[in-house]
Amino acid sequence: MLAAVAAGDTAACNELVRRHQGAVWRTCRALTASDQAAEDAMQETFLAACRGAAGWRGEGSVRAWLLGLARRQAARTWRRRKGEPVAPVPLHELGSLAGWGRMEDPEAFVEALQDRRRLWAAMDRLAPADREVIVLRDLEQLTGPEAAQALGIDLSALKSRLHRARLRLMAELQADLRHD
Amino acid sequence: MTEPERRPEPRLVGGLWCTDVLACLDDYVAGTLSPELAAQARAHLAGCDWCARFGGRYAATVRAVRERLGAEEAPPEVSRRILARLGRER
Repeated sequence: MLAAVAAGDTAACNELVRRHQGAVWRTCRALTASDQAAEDAMQETFLAACRGAAGWRGEGSVRAWLLGLARRQAARTWRRRKGEPVAPVPLHELGSLAGWGRMEDPEAFVEALQDRRRLWAAMDRLAPADREVIVLRDLEQLTGPEAAQALGIDLSALKSRLHRARLRLMAELQADLRHD
Repeated sequence: MTEPERRPEPRLVGGLWCTDVLACLDDYVAGTLSPELAAQARAHLAGCDWCARFGGRYAATVRAVRERLGAEEAPPEVSRRILARLGRER
């Protein structure tokens, strides 16, 4: 299909949008934490895809390629904050924030997970680097190599980043529950 | 709201410390641990209620992101505007 898109076939381009709009929307929405910014990033993603289809090298899936484009478009809406601590937080400290070693109310946590708005709100509070790894691996279920390529990191870094990002998401949900 | 009860210290159960289990929860949930380590992790989780509860919440979180957020589609009006723009600008 990308060959037809590259050749300027409008129907093929529309089909590309139809097939992948959900994944691109979710990625843009998660990474920008804003409906309007997500729409802008999504438009730019598909424009870039339709204009640049000829440059696709056929490595990995079309979806992984599109989500890589979406990530780059969404990244324009945020900058990595300066002055963030570079020393990694020990895993057990992240775990503690996420409820590890605490007898939290398990039912309240599971209920919170069923609440899509609450889940999105917790995602929106994460740093972009945490959001993007959760989006690519857990939400869109790219393979490890596909996600690592999209993020420009190696597999072991991806794995570590994903585990920590999940713990931070759990910590956000726990903090939210404590405010109830 | 009262502060939840805290576990006194990490424990050694099934040949793994609680901290070891925390470190490998991602692989345990994904089913990518070696058979030996997976057996140790299962033994730990069977004997450590603290880690079993947390492991359950971790797995539920991964599942919820996939199932609850992954089911969301682009709003129809957004898709319409994108198709219209593509039609104009290509």
